[in-house]
Amino acid sequence: MLLRCFCARIEPRFEARGLFKSKLQIFSISLVALLVVTTSGLVFGAWYLKQLEETVTKKFEKPFSSFPSKIYSDSYLLYVGISLRLDDLAEKLRRLGYFETPSTPRTKGEYRISRGSVEIYLHDFEFPTEQRKGMPVRIALQGTTLTRIEDLASGKDMFDLELEPELVTGLYERIWQERTIVKLPDVPPLVIKAVLAVEDERFFSHFGIDPVGIMRAMWVNLTSMSRQQGGSTLTQQLMKNFFLSDERTMSRKIPEAIMALIAERKYSKETILENYLNEIYLGQRGSQGIFGVWEASHFYFGKPLSDLTVGETALLAGLIRAPNKLSPYRNAELAIRRRNVVLAKLLDERIISRKQYDTALREKLPKRALVKVTNDAPFYVDYLRRELNENYSSDVQNKEGLRIFSGLDLQLQRIAERALVEGLNKLEATRPALRRRNSEDSLEGAIVVLRPQTGEIKAMVGGRNYQKSQFNRVFQAKRQPGSVFKPFVYLAALMYGGQSGVQYTPDSVLNDSPFTWSYDGQNWQPTNYNNEYFGAVTFRRALENSLNSATGRLAQDVGIRRVRDIAHRLGIQSSLPAVPSLALGSAEVTPLEVAVAFSTLANGGTRPRPLAVRNVMDQNTRLLENRHVRSEQVIDRQLAYRMNDLLKGVLDRGTGIAARRWGFTRPAAGKTGTTNDYKDAWFVGWTPDLLAVVWVGYDGPSKIGLSGAEAALPIWTEFMKAATASMAVTDFIPPVPMNEGPEAPAGKCGPYSREGEPAEPCPPSALQPIRSAEPL
Amino acid sequence: MVIWGVIGLYRKISLLAAAIILLHGCAPQRPYRMPMPPSSSTVRTPQTTAPIPPPPALPPPELSRRPVPQEGGIREEDIGTKSPMPPASGKETKESSRQAGLGESRASPGSTVFQPTTPPLPDDSSLVAKITPGISPQRAASLRLTDEGRKLLDAGDAVKALARLERTIDIDSTNPYGYFFLAKAQNRLGRYQESLNFLDVAESRLNGEPFWLAEVHALRGENYRALGQPQRAETSYVQSLRLNSGNRTAADALLRMQADLQSPAK
Repeated sequence: MLLRCFCARIEPRFEARGLFKSKLQIFSISLVALLVVTTSGLVFGAWYLKQLEETVTKKFEKPFSSFPSKIYSDSYLLYVGISLRLDDLAEKLRRLGYFETPSTPRTKGEYRISRGSVEIYLHDFEFPTEQRKGMPVRIALQGTTLTRIEDLASGKDMFDLELEPELVTGLYERIWQERTIVKLPDVPPLVIKAVLAVEDERFFSHFGIDPVGIMRAMWVNLTSMSRQQGGSTLTQQLMKNFFLSDERTMSRKIPEAIMALIAERKYSKETILENYLNEIYLGQRGSQGIFGVWEASHFYFGKPLSDLTVGETALLAGLIRAPNKLSPYRNAELAIRRRNVVLAKLLDERIISRKQYDTALREKLPKRALVKVTNDAPFYVDYLRRELNENYSSDVQNKEGLRIFSGLDLQLQRIAERALVEGLNKLEATRPALRRRNSEDSLEGAIVVLRPQTGEIKAMVGGRNYQKSQFNRVFQAKRQPGSVFKPFVYLAALMYGGQSGVQYTPDSVLNDSPFTWSYDGQNWQPTNYNNEYFGAVTFRRALENSLNSATGRLAQDVGIRRVRDIAHRLGIQSSLPAVPSLALGSAEVTPLEVAVAFSTLANGGTRPRPLAVRNVMDQNTRLLENRHVRSEQVIDRQLAYRMNDLLKGVLDRGTGIAARRWGFTRPAAGKTGTTNDYKDAWFVGWTPDLLAVVWVGYDGPSKIGLSGAEAALPIWTEFMKAATASMAVTDFIPPVPMNEGPEAPAGKCGPYSREGEPAEPCPPSALQPIRSAEPL
Repeated sequence: MVIWGVIGLYRKISLLAAAIILLHGCAPQRPYRMPMPPSSSTVRTPQTTAPIPPPPALPPPELSRRPVPQEGGIREEDIGTKSPMPPASGKETKESSRQAGLGESRASPGSTVFQPTTPPLPDDSSLVAKITPGISPQRAASLRLTDEGRKLLDAGDAVKALARLERTIDIDSTNPYGYFFLAKAQNRLGRYQESLNFLDVAESRLNGEPFWLAEVHALRGENYRALGQPQRAETSYVQSLRLNSGNRTAADALLRMQADLQSPAK
């Protein structure tokens, strides 16, 4: 009707009926288009709002759904009598997050060094099998020996004390958010008031966005010609943090504002505030982000929220604006200045009294060095993850907040890494031919360290540079072990005797001369280094000097299958072909297998299970998994002792003697290994308490042209010297009673036949020392 | 008529069959020995994780024939079969205590029961008493931890005990008592084969102490009994009593075994 009316009015103005009709059509179309756009807009808007509401609801219902898992090192047991240097203890405490204080430690996490003693106020810690409440203790040292441990609370002596393990790294999806959820009633009122005073003083008045605040901020910024204030409310900041984005564009600001409105409509102020206090980003510790006030309180002050002073509370609240820039770890002066601004605000708002203000101003910021959480053992962590993958999916590992306790000793790990990297650098420096232009094919190495008695993997370095290559040569690289395999031949000989009827002893005489071993229509002829042969040599000397021919003859007499069986029995898991060259290490194995096999010898014939993961707890500290020490007596203890004794000769007189010249003087056994083509250089060596395997070579087919004694032994020596520096000197203990049996009388040599034939006189050459020309 | 006859016959056969089944079910059962149930496992899985598979097994060592023991030769114990070793040179070595002879010890119905002829050994169970002034700090710490582990075991906390006891061998791998109590903890947790493994290690490290060797054999017997190997269990108990006639574990276990064999079917 309106249209008709309109037409009636305008009709007389137009002479042509057609012109009127077309204008009418254009108008109709425009109107329809406008209606369609408006409707679409409304529909889209409703849908968008719905999406935003769902997002807000999801975030609030399950605000913190992802908790990173944490990997811990082994704990450190102190006991009366242990060798311990004060510097080492202080360094350990520092890495555990303890802070040195000049006065008596009164708060958990503090320690003080006095003459001959250290007082520590221990942290609370949830061990896998028990919870420890923090308490003050005193550790007395006499020189480098721990003489007393005293519980200062009760005055009683303790004979041991377990320091908590170090945090190695976290397992997380994109960002490592470290937080501990705290309920609003557990947050001290002063903390809440301080945060609100500096970030959103009208929090309880506005409805999600604060027009008054926005106007005020605009005025302040305009008059100061700088961005001094923000107009975002706490609710808006929370929405922003939920998206982990720092964008300040309109495309982000608008949805944030809408979400803030939605949140305020759906949830109480208390709920929003609680989420904020747990969500807010408050600093960085290496790769670990600090989120939430509870975590920040421990990170900056080493104490719970309830113990914060007025000054500390103000400092914490002031950090929110720029946590990294204002961090007391980075810029103490700036942190103090900001703290004072917050204190002034608190005084202004009458939240604190003048007296409290004056006292807080005088509070000194304790000098603390930031201990970053950086993954110091990436190869070890990778290996550990493989073990975890057996029982836990990636999702569970990254999100369920597991606490994983390992056998890793971070101090040994650092020593191992340093020894390997410096050792390889030195090799390249002294032998330029080893350097490669193509960094993809540079000289590489690996080192793995085990505790023989428990099988715990204490350190693992799978390569020279993890950033460059994550390939873990400790357990992923199969290489020929060369002469490292020979001890299995000698062990089999002692254990089974020869098929010829000979019963071997360490003083048996072997024939070190060229020979041919025919098998399956083929011939095998082992050759000695430099084609040098020594004729009649003792069993012991042949092993110490790693003579190929003598070893080959021995393997032939014993039987290669028995040699293979011994290797498997000790812990080699790779498939080993029963061919003669196996005796000289032609079958490929990993350094980890070598470590386990020789740990069996070091451990008196008891084969341990290699352990990286020890315990797994969930985020509620419920114990999920306990991986125990497992060992199996696989060879006679006396036999193991005999082999250890023989292999001590490698270091004392044989191919590993250079280690003694370089300063490693402890009782130890070992074996060098070099492959025929000089592609691999090995050394495996152990004391009764620690075993390390070193491998050096190229990943590709290049030869290093160096023996195990030249390439791997130096790295092993440097590692062991540092690793055992503070350990007590121990030697292999002969089992009692020792089945000595009829050792060859003086001047007489074996072998003894099974029929008990008397010993033969030793030929002169067997009794003469062999010069260690043989590097294998 | 015929049909009724067939039906009647069918009913009689069914009743007969039912009667046979009923009577068979009510017949007295021969007594049998249930294997000891394992203790509650320490491994719990969260709902979101996969079930924990057994740990990767080490390759079974191919055991070759044990060489004929020769005087003066190195003897290698056949780990797989645990067959006993003949005594060396007429001396009573620790290997020789593991005799296979059962003649005088088999407690079968009607046969003689093992009667120890030697008086019981004095109690040497105190670990703290072994901490003497000349002892190394590692051994002292290891013994104290072992004692702590033992107390935890006595209190029923095998998991905590295990954690403590693993530390003992970490500190001092030559401490035989640490291995013994590790074996005991494993036994409490129902891991009998593991317990046996640790007992082998403990035995190899014991310095000819008959009191403790007797404990080793007694616990070995407990493990064998739990694994359903009564013959081996009995052998172990007898060996324990030969070393220490006062070993209550072995004595009580043998009595129980005898009683089980002699008790009429209920």
